[in-house]
Amino acid sequence: MDELIVSMEHICKQFPGVKALDDVRFELRKGEVMALLGENGAGKSTLMKILSGVYTRDSGDLTIMGKSYGDLDPKSARAAGVAIIHQELNMCRHLSVAENMFLGREIKGSITLNNKEMKKIAREYLDELGVDISTDQIVGDLPVSKQQMIEIAKALSVNAKILIMDEPTSALTARECEELFRIIRQLKDRGCGIVYISHRLEELSHITDRVTIMRDGKYITQGNFTDFSMDDIISNMVGREIKEKFPRIECPKGKKIFEVKNLNAGRLVRDINFSLYEGEIVGFAGLMGAGRTETTRAVFGIDPKESGTIELNGKEVVINRPMDAIKAGIVLAPEDRKKDGLCTKLSVRQNIALPNLDMLCNGLGVVDSKKEVELCDKAVDNLMIKLPSVDVNADTLSGGNQQKVVVGKWLARDSKVVIFDEPTRGIDVGAKVEIYRLMNQLKEQGIAVMFVSSEMPEILGIADRVIVMCDGRITGEVQAKGATQEELLKLATAFENKFKEEEKGAEVKANE
Amino acid sequence: MNNKKSFVKSILSVRGMGAALTAFVGLIIIYIAFGLINPKVFSGQNILNLLRSMSKYLLIGIGQSYVMITGNIDLSIGSVVGMSAMITATLMTHGVPAVLAVLIALVCGIAVGVVNGFLVGKFKLPPFIATLGTMFVARGVGYMVDGNRNTDNIGITLGKDAADGFQNLFYYNKTLGIYNTFWIALVIFLIAFFILSKTRFGRHVYAIGSNIDAARLSGVDSVMVTVKVYLVSAFCAVVVGVILCAQAGMGNMEAGNMYEMYGVASGVIGGISPLGGSGLLLGTFAGASVWQTLENGLNMIGAQVGIQRIVIGVIVVVAVLMDVVLHSKTSKK
Repeated sequence: MDELIVSMEHICKQFPGVKALDDVRFELRKGEVMALLGENGAGKSTLMKILSGVYTRDSGDLTIMGKSYGDLDPKSARAAGVAIIHQELNMCRHLSVAENMFLGREIKGSITLNNKEMKKIAREYLDELGVDISTDQIVGDLPVSKQQMIEIAKALSVNAKILIMDEPTSALTARECEELFRIIRQLKDRGCGIVYISHRLEELSHITDRVTIMRDGKYITQGNFTDFSMDDIISNMVGREIKEKFPRIECPKGKKIFEVKNLNAGRLVRDINFSLYEGEIVGFAGLMGAGRTETTRAVFGIDPKESGTIELNGKEVVINRPMDAIKAGIVLAPEDRKKDGLCTKLSVRQNIALPNLDMLCNGLGVVDSKKEVELCDKAVDNLMIKLPSVDVNADTLSGGNQQKVVVGKWLARDSKVVIFDEPTRGIDVGAKVEIYRLMNQLKEQGIAVMFVSSEMPEILGIADRVIVMCDGRITGEVQAKGATQEELLKLATAFENKFKEEEKGAEVKANE
Repeated sequence: MNNKKSFVKSILSVRGMGAALTAFVGLIIIYIAFGLINPKVFSGQNILNLLRSMSKYLLIGIGQSYVMITGNIDLSIGSVVGMSAMITATLMTHGVPAVLAVLIALVCGIAVGVVNGFLVGKFKLPPFIATLGTMFVARGVGYMVDGNRNTDNIGITLGKDAADGFQNLFYYNKTLGIYNTFWIALVIFLIAFFILSKTRFGRHVYAIGSNIDAARLSGVDSVMVTVKVYLVSAFCAVVVGVILCAQAGMGNMEAGNMYEMYGVASGVIGGISPLGGSGLLLGTFAGASVWQTLENGLNMIGAQVGIQRIVIGVIVVVAVLMDVVLHSKTSKK
């Protein structure tokens, strides 16, 4: 079992202006799950891209399955048995499961495709993983968790021995995670080595055998998972001790600022009523697909509302478009950075300036570049965004810093209500704490903060009051202090109980 | 000295400047190469002609570039050119004064722009389809205004003086030794350049092209910006239509045929990405110049029309190919 299948020594990689990797070592044994940990920008992804041949290293030794490799390209890495299960899944959404699994290596008869054979083989691998999906399903119709399974099956079908999983659980529900872990254990039994990258430290104990920790492009330590406490891991990752994972502050609760009444917008926003007060952070908890993001979108005017009123300081405001919300002083830092948050081809400066151009322009609509630079520098300093210059493209930043830009662009405004939708998804511990601090700052300034998150510990740790949603409805509201995750989970799954009641009701009726 | 250096540096750091400057360098090389084969290319009169004929491509390129930076395309440009030329000419042959005729053509052209803008911005039609439709419609209107034929000479009712005045103003007269056509294009270029690089609207154009969802969530009115962009495109097309009318002294039903593609080519050669979000209007200036210099040069050395087309086609692809290859190299490092 202890056979070394990957060994990387003294790996260095220089990007223009940054040393991404500096004398890094990494090893992976057969049949183990190796967690590769570090903050955003620590160099984990770069290291894995070198292992999978996307980047070439500047120096260092790379051995896979006992064979030493010079310059590795994606093709030879694949041949060596390395496969990446990407964070953002790489599949053709319009093609079927079998077609995706055999993409680029289709089995042919003399002229035409041998679909029967491909489906059969696809079936075999899916069965082996215990995944119940038809090979004719269109991939785009499947949930992300199933798509991931297909990627894993595909990797197995090309005889991959080294699987790199980059944040595999970030889009999965608790139940889907368990399913994934089951499959990971199976892969271990088959003798695959798994590199597991995740920011959700609490899930590591379920599957991890060993850990490698990196920081600022350097190798820090490695060892058996059981030899580390969670605090050791965090302090090794961050390089300093994080005293409080959830730095809560206390503020007196002030007057009501914001109220949503009888909001309806589609199946996932049904009869929503809630209020936000000065000096409090209101958490929105729930499972994936509970309608929290949809609620924020309806409030902010992205999706049309069927009914409902929104009041700000006791006065009704009409919000039909995001612009109306922004003008009223309601802003939203959206869930999906790449899709909704950033113009990735534009510079950080242009991104931060974009929603604030009304303040930066003179009467003729000409941008005052001096004011613009001032505003951006202030935002960058305030949030401690790490970047070489404000003129670099937004997509060159690490995830955590991108998120800070998404949040930071709103803070220059005189907002009354700030909505955060999953602001800490996919970012590291240090950056998370900075985002929490920022929410606290807003709370102190008397700004109403609405905080949507799927991670219950952080909701309980940061929010003052928690509203729980399930299946498009608000199913409960609790004070965060004293509340437990179990209570939240019960409320978050309230639809199943209700469903049973209805069933019962139906049964009763049938009996009568 | 130091100041100068940082100034040069700051110019070079503007995104899209690299592609624009490359196109200018290419322009100079092409021009000199043709000049060495046929020295007449360097003659003063040829330079004046060059400037005048590149003006049309520059104007078209400006409009198409605005649209391309939002990630869209406008296929109706050439038809709007033809339609405006026909409307202006037809009205003048019926005795409508030139100013009024041009204004009416402008209104009609703008109407096409508004329709394009709403179809694409509001109703989310794929721009290729929406403007393909208006392309046919506008060309059809152009055919019909004078009963499916080219118009008579524009002076037929208004008299020779009025016709000459119109033609000279837009095409044949010079101001400060350079044809008016070029001055018109230059003024519009400078205004368009300023708007795109310095104003709020300009920022919104780039933002929409880069990520329309994020732009909308940042409070950008994506519908109005899209409409305005198609208006810019239609406006430029009308100006070119009027210039063609002045050049010919009549309305030609086929005027402006394929111009939308010349606009794409000018933009693309100068580094405007048809995928949206990037590129500088300065590049479009370079692109239009390259385009016209090629056409002019190939003419001057007596190349056949067929060869001209082939060379131009190759240049467009090579320009973009260079950009793509350079890009993938720098991003891979």
